[in-house]
Amino acid sequence: MYDDDRDALAAEYVLGTLSADEREQADALLVIDPGFAEIVRVWERRLGELNVMVEAVEPPPDVWDKIRTDIGRTPRSDIKLESAFPAIGEAETGTASTPGISPETPPELTAERVPDLLAEPAHDLDLSGPPRDLDDASLVAALALSLLPPEPPPEPAKASPSEPAPSLAPPKIERSADIIYLAREARRWRGFTVAMSAIAALLALYVGVEQFAPGLMPPGRQSPTDVALQTKPPGSRLVAVLQQEPTAPAFLLTLDPQSRNITVRRVTSSPDAGRSYELWLIDKSSTPHSLGLVGTDEFITRPIPANFDVDVMRGASYAVSLEPAGGSPNGAPTGPILFTGKMVESVPGSPS
Amino acid sequence: MAVMLMQTELVWLLGEVARGDEAAFERLYAATRAKLYGVLLRILSRPALAEEVMQETYLKVWTMADQFDPAIASPITWMVAMARNRAIDIVRKRGDVSIEDEPEALEVASEAPPPLARREMTEELKRLLSCLGKLDPEKQRIVLLAYYSGWSRDQLAQKLDIPVNTIKTWLRRSLLEIRECMGN
Repeated sequence: MYDDDRDALAAEYVLGTLSADEREQADALLVIDPGFAEIVRVWERRLGELNVMVEAVEPPPDVWDKIRTDIGRTPRSDIKLESAFPAIGEAETGTASTPGISPETPPELTAERVPDLLAEPAHDLDLSGPPRDLDDASLVAALALSLLPPEPPPEPAKASPSEPAPSLAPPKIERSADIIYLAREARRWRGFTVAMSAIAALLALYVGVEQFAPGLMPPGRQSPTDVALQTKPPGSRLVAVLQQEPTAPAFLLTLDPQSRNITVRRVTSSPDAGRSYELWLIDKSSTPHSLGLVGTDEFITRPIPANFDVDVMRGASYAVSLEPAGGSPNGAPTGPILFTGKMVESVPGSPS
Repeated sequence: MAVMLMQTELVWLLGEVARGDEAAFERLYAATRAKLYGVLLRILSRPALAEEVMQETYLKVWTMADQFDPAIASPITWMVAMARNRAIDIVRKRGDVSIEDEPEALEVASEAPPPLARREMTEELKRLLSCLGKLDPEKQRIVLLAYYSGWSRDQLAQKLDIPVNTIKTWLRRSLLEIRECMGN
């Protein structure tokens, strides 16, 4: 059942029938779950041949002129972390080191590219998504970092070559710190979670390029990291991945502070008959708060209770416990805690 | 046979592009541009937007050519997957447009895909088509329309006047049937 759900999600991701929210969650899964990335790749191969039946249309000739100008500014070896087939398996086995930052690429070339991307005007064509390149780069960076050995937190291997430049690299370094910190938090938390055998909170963290609004950042002056840390747009969404094992996420939570909605996607099997999954908000300062039953449907959206503060939700941990049918009888988790995770900033909410 | 030769040539060109060969990149562009533009135009409807994504996609091909693995995909499916993925992100984030807003898009998308001579078909495509052919006709239709037009479940439901839950069930069932039929 678990495999079918995940497979169907991957298939619909490739086919393109998912909603914006679901695509965002699938993007998060792609980062943290190499198994899912592999399934997506298989589906791209299965369905990809359909392109043969799409009628070819000649593009206007000036498209090539623009592309040629673009590649003139983009040395082939400068950006390696992005992929339509994210190089997830490779990152895991270490072969990703081959396409690493090429030594002969001067850092300023990389730096130059960032303002370039950022300076792209907001088109009235409603090109509202963040430029895909940067987005993907951050996504895959998050993955690579989540694969670091848990303890002690090592220096990110890729940090040094790119450190001097205000390039794409600094945000990755920031994120690695976040991820290591959060992973430690998760381990501490495990200490008082009786039923857990292996919690690992791997985090999908991707900061949309809209946060680096061109107006906020004169090219080359301010590092994108600073901007990202200083300006958290109010609409930016939060994502949490609740899981038991690093490669098997079970629930994906998305919190939209603006609409005050929380979306829960179940990617594990539904609970056995007579049991229910209950979602808990765990804030250090008080007892766990129930956020209701989850997992009866694959995908649910519900409003955040009015008395919940979004800032608290931002910093809280989340857990899913196995309860008797209908939920905990006494308002606190009674069954084993099966999955846990924390919220991280996601891409800013789309204007829709 | 022509198709096979073409594929081999594209793989070779991508290898050259990975080494930074701009002339090879231009040949790769010439060999693939019409297919990618056709795919993008169908999904995005607006030429200006499709051109925009053409630029983004080829820039990606340029920077990522060394990550292309012929064991995983053919060059054209690799490139089309990149382009489609980006195009669908854009249309989803833009919000689903109603039929009234884009009558042209509907017209284009309702057309049946152009007939294809059997000799143009790769083995993989024949296998996929034979598996698609085992689905009920209305399920074949939603899978193909979703692929060609980049429609979401909601759009499929609206445009085909079928409840969205039915679309959801059909899609899931169809895709899992395709998986069973094709294996890996």
